[in-house]
Amino acid sequence: MNPAVFEIGKFARLTVIWLSIIFGAVWAACWAVGVFAPALINASGMPTETASLASEVLRALVPVVAVAVFIPINAMFMVLCERRALALFTVRKGPNRVGPDGLLQTAADAVKLLFKEDITPHGADAVMFTAAPIIFFAPSIIGVLPLLAAASGNHELFRSVNLPTGIFYVLAIASIPVVGIVMGGWASNNKYSLVGALRSAAQAISYEIPLVLSIVAVCLMAGTLDVVKIADQQKDSLLSWNIFGGGALLPYVNLVVAGLQGNNEQVQAIMQHFQAQPLGPFAAVLMVVCCIIFFGIYITGACAEVNRIPFDLPEAESELVSGYNTEYSGIKFAIFFLAEFTNLFVVCSIASIMFLGGGHAPLPGLEQGFTEMLGGILKQLPGSKEIFSPGWLINSLVNPSTVSQAFWIILKTYSLVIFAILIRATLPRFRIDQLMAFGWKRLIPLSLILLIALTYLRELV
Amino acid sequence: MFGLVGRAVESLYYVCVGLWTVAKHTGRAPITKEFPDTMPDLPGAFRGRLALAVNPETSEHLCISCRQCERVCPDKCIDITAHKSPETGKLELIDFKIDHGLCMFCGLCTEVCPTTCIINTNDFEMSDYSREALIYDLKKLTLTQDESAHYFSKKYLPIPKPKPKPAPKPAAAAAKPADGVAAPAKPAPPAAKPAEGAAAAKSAPAATDKPAGDAAATKPTAEKKADDSKDSEKEKAAPEPSAAEGKAEPDKTEG
Amino acid sequence: MAPEKIEALTSTRLKTDEMIINMGPQHPATHGVLRLLLTLDGEFVKHVEPVVGHLHRAQEWQGQNRTWFQYQALIDRVDYLSGMFTSWAMARAAEKVDGCQVPLRGEYMRVIVSEMNRITSHLLWLGTYGIDLGAMFGFPFYPFREREKLLDLLEAISGQRMMFNYIRIGGVQSEAPPGWFAKVSEFVKEFPDRVDEYEAILTNNPIFIKRTKGVGILKKQLALDYGVTGPSLRASGVPLDLRKTKPYSVYDRLKFEVPIHEGDGDTFDRYVLRVKEMRESNEILRQCLEQIPGGTADELRERRKACNSCGKADCSNCGGDLMIMAKKQNAGLRIKAGEGFDAIESPRGILGCYIISTGGDTAYRFKWRNPSFCNLAALPDLLIDHPIADIMAIFGSIDVILPDVDR
Ligand code: SF4
Ligand code: SF4
Repeated sequence: MNPAVFEIGKFARLTVIWLSIIFGAVWAACWAVGVFAPALINASGMPTETASLASEVLRALVPVVAVAVFIPINAMFMVLCERRALALFTVRKGPNRVGPDGLLQTAADAVKLLFKEDITPHGADAVMFTAAPIIFFAPSIIGVLPLLAAASGNHELFRSVNLPTGIFYVLAIASIPVVGIVMGGWASNNKYSLVGALRSAAQAISYEIPLVLSIVAVCLMAGTLDVVKIADQQKDSLLSWNIFGGGALLPYVNLVVAGLQGNNEQVQAIMQHFQAQPLGPFAAVLMVVCCIIFFGIYITGACAEVNRIPFDLPEAESELVSGYNTEYSGIKFAIFFLAEFTNLFVVCSIASIMFLGGGHAPLPGLEQGFTEMLGGILKQLPGSKEIFSPGWLINSLVNPSTVSQAFWIILKTYSLVIFAILIRATLPRFRIDQLMAFGWKRLIPLSLILLIALTYLRELV
Repeated sequence: MFGLVGRAVESLYYVCVGLWTVAKHTGRAPITKEFPDTMPDLPGAFRGRLALAVNPETSEHLCISCRQCERVCPDKCIDITAHKSPETGKLELIDFKIDHGLCMFCGLCTEVCPTTCIINTNDFEMSDYSREALIYDLKKLTLTQDESAHYFSKKYLPIPKPKPKPAPKPAAAAAKPADGVAAPAKPAPPAAKPAEGAAAAKSAPAATDKPAGDAAATKPTAEKKADDSKDSEKEKAAPEPSAAEGKAEPDKTEG
Repeated sequence: MAPEKIEALTSTRLKTDEMIINMGPQHPATHGVLRLLLTLDGEFVKHVEPVVGHLHRAQEWQGQNRTWFQYQALIDRVDYLSGMFTSWAMARAAEKVDGCQVPLRGEYMRVIVSEMNRITSHLLWLGTYGIDLGAMFGFPFYPFREREKLLDLLEAISGQRMMFNYIRIGGVQSEAPPGWFAKVSEFVKEFPDRVDEYEAILTNNPIFIKRTKGVGILKKQLALDYGVTGPSLRASGVPLDLRKTKPYSVYDRLKFEVPIHEGDGDTFDRYVLRVKEMRESNEILRQCLEQIPGGTADELRERRKACNSCGKADCSNCGGDLMIMAKKQNAGLRIKAGEGFDAIESPRGILGCYIISTGGDTAYRFKWRNPSFCNLAALPDLLIDHPIADIMAIFGSIDVILPDVDR
């Protein structure tokens, strides 16, 4: 067999194994805290008041547990995934020594990093130096919370973190890490770090604007800031995804389908609807174009936001040694590293929720079919009411709609992550002035124009 | 305006071409070799660790102590100890040291050696815990007969002509060839068997040789006068030892 | 507000301090151990002071204290990316002093191995240039992959991957192993496709163009003043390539172009020029493989077996065709008294070697003219008023190798 196919197979296997470990662990932890423990408490015969209070508290803890379990393992997987994918792109094999087929490489790396000496450079501001990684890392934990609700298909355990202004909150939080970078760069007492930190500040400010504008465009189309609602609006099919105009093309496709099926009544009805909007078709096509460009802008801005190539100027290795984290070592460096990859994951999941239909399948019927099938299988199981029976266990563990949604969102998010890796493998890095010029002279005007256009087009469709 | 849009589209196109070129590489077989598992296929000319070959056919040691290699070495990392045998008046090799920590593997010594005795092997894994351990002595340097045969064929070297047979020795002297040469250097009093070197070391029927072989392997000291049982083998085939012959003083240099 | 007023305001109230940054000798991107003392105004370079000599190994002195034969093994280390060229320069100078003629097959072998070496050198440059520009994780591996193949071939013929010690005074050291020529021509066939791939990734990439076009412009006159040579000079519009202007060895029998860029060259032109040069080298290789007298090593061996003129059927060292001074190829090599200079075109520029011999087995005086040293001299002028990020783009583009600077 072609060895390349073999390597791709290995990569796929590794991804599947890691992802099942990650999400299995997360869900197991959530279930233990949010379902099993309250059930145990209820069954233990405590006073009802205490029991319900305790279960409430436990349920409220679920999102926190989920994030706390998820972030470290996920970052480990992403580092490994990045290294293996880069290896694939560069005709190598990548790390394949630790554990079966290199599965545990990053776990070993993490352990190594934790045991490294933690150095505070001479003349550094020790307090700031220590606080910087924490400030850098904390937002990525807080920021994921609202996304959990959207990602799990508004599962009841995560409903509490679904804010009405969810996406706004996420964006606000996402701009905090730069403070950590500037603090770290300043406190290191190193000129390279300082330059890196200042670059990072400038870059974050410039690229936040197009990033936010592209998100605003989506919110404009959706008419809400609630991530769960935004995701739900895109549930019909590929065409109702926000990247394809949020359903702008849907009536026309329906028309064509109806025409093909020879359903004259429907055709008539739709045509009547169009007569009111003669410019509708053009507007719809333009809108799709606008949305695709917005998606591009979002990806660009997100790359800049999380300091990925081609916007990795804050840590440009060939210029600034390692930028703001030059002086960091041991666990502090590990935290920086962890946060970087978590941030990448967060922006990718925002993209898949906002633009790519969240947890919904690209084709209609796929999701429903799967849910029904799984539900049918679950119904076969005996004793589904009795607490602690195997049936109860499985029913409380497996929620068909959540499983389906989680599957799709994982698929979309990691595809975006791999796309980011592909970009990393290809593009060289911008220069700081070019970066600024590109941000201010190209992206921001472009996104403003498109935003205005979108506002009008929305009316015309 | 249109120029701008055109340029943007063009840029995007070229970025996509680049991305596609990189993505295409996913479908190619990896070029990495998993080193400790699959050893690299090194060419015969590869200049790795130095070693002293024995005659692949007769298993006699090829070095004639001519010191050519010692003199040519730019790093002065070869140290030969030889002396003129009082009995035969010929040069005999007592010890041969190469400091691999100093050697730069230029291969000059192998080029000048008149008997193709010193050769570069394909071995490159020599890491050790101390610098002293990198100084290889005669015993560590000498290859077995099989290895010699392997390298002679790999490097397309002509097989050296066997040296003239030594006169039969008294059995007592033959019993202790404390030369530091391991198995293949066994000076069996009958004519050396051509193709059996290593195998013979294990299953040699000759009772006198068995303990001698073990002693040589475990105690590579080079001081006894019993050496001469061995060395007369090595001398006759010296094509141009005239330059080195002059300084046959034992222990001329010390590293 | 009037411009002068703005000027006055910014220069008095917004006065900023200049920052002095020490780039190197331990810096991930200074290609070795160059130390640049940068005076920065914000991110812009105001003054540069290159500090060289961290890798000084007294190569010339060593040449005067070692025999010719021994020194040949050392000079590959002068410029470790193109060891064939340093050996060749010295061999040519010594041959000139001695007045001997290298056999034709030997000359062809020299051209073949050194053009291969030129490609490896340019490939390494291409990969590291990608790193300098931040294309750090994917692109550099592709040139290195081809370089690896060439190094394997060079290893098979010379014994080592970088310290070849293959070109000797009087010829080349040994005949190629069986099948070597076939592998080379296989490489020659597939290499242009690979270059196309590199170009697909870099040449038209908008970011790459932005980073390199108009950056680090080396004026023709400045280049001539500093004695810049090699691709950097040719990218500035001076058609100086010793292979063409003063053909040595068998270059006059080969058809090839010397790529020139008209006008003052910037970083991008130097990149394009090197890529073109790789293609040309490949073309030279192809022609050499066709023209080499005696054919491939295997054919030669057959012929030798048939005629049996040199006595030994597959003698690898006497190689009547490869090496004139077979007898002298030993520790006692002597060069006739006299002095001489000869230069060749190395991947980095004109590499010259000056020798005074008194007839003994060591040289009386050695002097190297290293292209990297002269090219580096132009660097400070190129860097002024560029931001930090361009330092590596410019420094990388003039392709300096530090051991060659410091010797
Ligand atoms: S390879 Fe070179 S340095 Fe090493 S021992 Fe032989 S001559 Fe000396
Ligand atoms: S025979 Fe070879 S190995 Fe022995 S001393 Fe002479 S040159 Fe050195």
